[in-house]
Amino acid sequence: MIPTTLRRSLLFLLMVMSVGSIFFASASGSVSLGWSEWLAAIRDSGSQHGELIWRLRLPRAMAAWVVGSMLAMSGCLMQVLLRNPLADPYVLGVSGGAAFATLLGMVFGIAVAFLPWLAMLGALISILLVFGLARGTGPWSGTRLLLTGVVTASGWAALISLILSLSPDNSLRGMLFWLMGDLSYVTLPAWSLAVLAGSFVLTLGLARSLNVLAMGETTARLLGESTRHMLWMVYLLASLLTATAVSIAGSIGFVGLIVPHLMRLLVGSDHRILIPAATLFGGLFLVLSDTLARTVLSPQQLPVGVITALLGVPLFLLLLNRARLKGV
Amino acid sequence: MTSLVCQSLDVSIAGKNICGNLDLELEPGQFWGLLGPNGIGKTTLLKCMAGLSAPDSGTVLLENQVIDKLPRRAIARLLGMLQQHTVYVFDASVLETAMTGRHPHLSYWEREGPQDKQKALDAIREVDLEGFEARSVTRLSGGEARRLAFASLMVQEPAILLLDEPTNHLDMKHQIRIMNQVENKVAKEQRCAIVALHDVNLAARYCSHILMLFGDGDWQAGPVNELLNPENLERLYQCPVETLQSSAGRRFLPGS
Repeated sequence: MIPTTLRRSLLFLLMVMSVGSIFFASASGSVSLGWSEWLAAIRDSGSQHGELIWRLRLPRAMAAWVVGSMLAMSGCLMQVLLRNPLADPYVLGVSGGAAFATLLGMVFGIAVAFLPWLAMLGALISILLVFGLARGTGPWSGTRLLLTGVVTASGWAALISLILSLSPDNSLRGMLFWLMGDLSYVTLPAWSLAVLAGSFVLTLGLARSLNVLAMGETTARLLGESTRHMLWMVYLLASLLTATAVSIAGSIGFVGLIVPHLMRLLVGSDHRILIPAATLFGGLFLVLSDTLARTVLSPQQLPVGVITALLGVPLFLLLLNRARLKGV
Repeated sequence: MTSLVCQSLDVSIAGKNICGNLDLELEPGQFWGLLGPNGIGKTTLLKCMAGLSAPDSGTVLLENQVIDKLPRRAIARLLGMLQQHTVYVFDASVLETAMTGRHPHLSYWEREGPQDKQKALDAIREVDLEGFEARSVTRLSGGEARRLAFASLMVQEPAILLLDEPTNHLDMKHQIRIMNQVENKVAKEQRCAIVALHDVNLAARYCSHILMLFGDGDWQAGPVNELLNPENLERLYQCPVETLQSSAGRRFLPGS
């Protein structure tokens, strides 16, 4: 962990790096731009490079940032909700519902522009299904929610496998890209920005309560939280963030698990600093991953989910190992 | 002055009667010991007194108000409970964890101020965890985690303290240290405490009043010198009890 006094500076640094990463992403790609070319292109949006930057690369980088930060925030919330540092945004089946609906849409040849809405619909159905089944009337049970969610998720996985095995070969590629998470044809709807901003403010307001909640439901109640309402709110908030992220970019893995972890190692578990740090780093991480996905085998583009996994896993293991050695 | 009152309280768990028609008034300056054999329902009764679970019938009054009707936040400012088990899953620091005791006293967006931090540091020193402030709670020993949980409770500063076996996992020195702290809170600051204990001699040394749970809803409550005798203890624990006279008063041993 870094000293408390440096934590605010870290947030500032992450903010600067986020903006920097978006600019960096807009300059790199199959057509790589130098500093002066990039500056000229930014000024003249009508030029060929200007179009490339303003119409393709910047929107894509922005979308990557938004999706990454949503997944990271959702991961933080899910980990508190289930009181399990291994929870990720997808563990309760939100992405499964979205994936099933999207793949079904692809099978029936629904226009690409409508697929995000289908994904959102699928995610919402899954959220409500789990919510309805796990709610019951008794006291809050994290185990019941976890089991309901995990089983629902495997149900979706089975349906997804069914679709994949029945689909013709030529549509499989698109489906697999969606399942791995892909930002190639991404558009960033304005309402998703509202979801991100709204959830961020709400989560930050709940941050001290999340600290208490992380110590267990009974402890939280004894410290003055009405946990039942609070926990369902955290569930719905995390699910909405996941649903929005997935509907934009498919189910990009590892960001929602690894980013909260990395930030925990760096800034500790106080959510008042963890939430903003994870949100910023999640965005930054996905922008850089996507840039790599576009450039590493350029002109061929990889699904960004492959990169997040390939980058995230060793990075995570390395940091975890170093933390152990230092005895944190 | 804050008091906790149980009025004709019936509590049961899994069809087993813990206490029937319990009338009890915990008043400021009183130090209650809650005694009873394993599995008799001490924890369940304490949880019920904390408003965490509802009784079958009867009411718990906190400051003359029915506890179920009070918001948790209002309860948390008056009443705190040390749970029997302390498990920390996420690695927050010792100082951060002690500071969570301020949670009910802070408003929505408020951050802990220097005074809150000072309270946490004082409490950490009192439980002998000085120097551990920056350490992760997941790396504490069982006894250290226990002392930290107690420190958090002291930082919460409730007028009514419910303590569920506060001395388990603790060595002799720290048992005494913690019980002394509770005694101080009760005597000097006119708070009241009820402490579930298995060590009869700690009860004999510290408590002013005793509540005994015999099973099948049977209970007895009263001043310590009226209740704490070999006859009652033998009935309570179903084992022979021998009495020793020490300089500090009567002490009890399992007899043969």
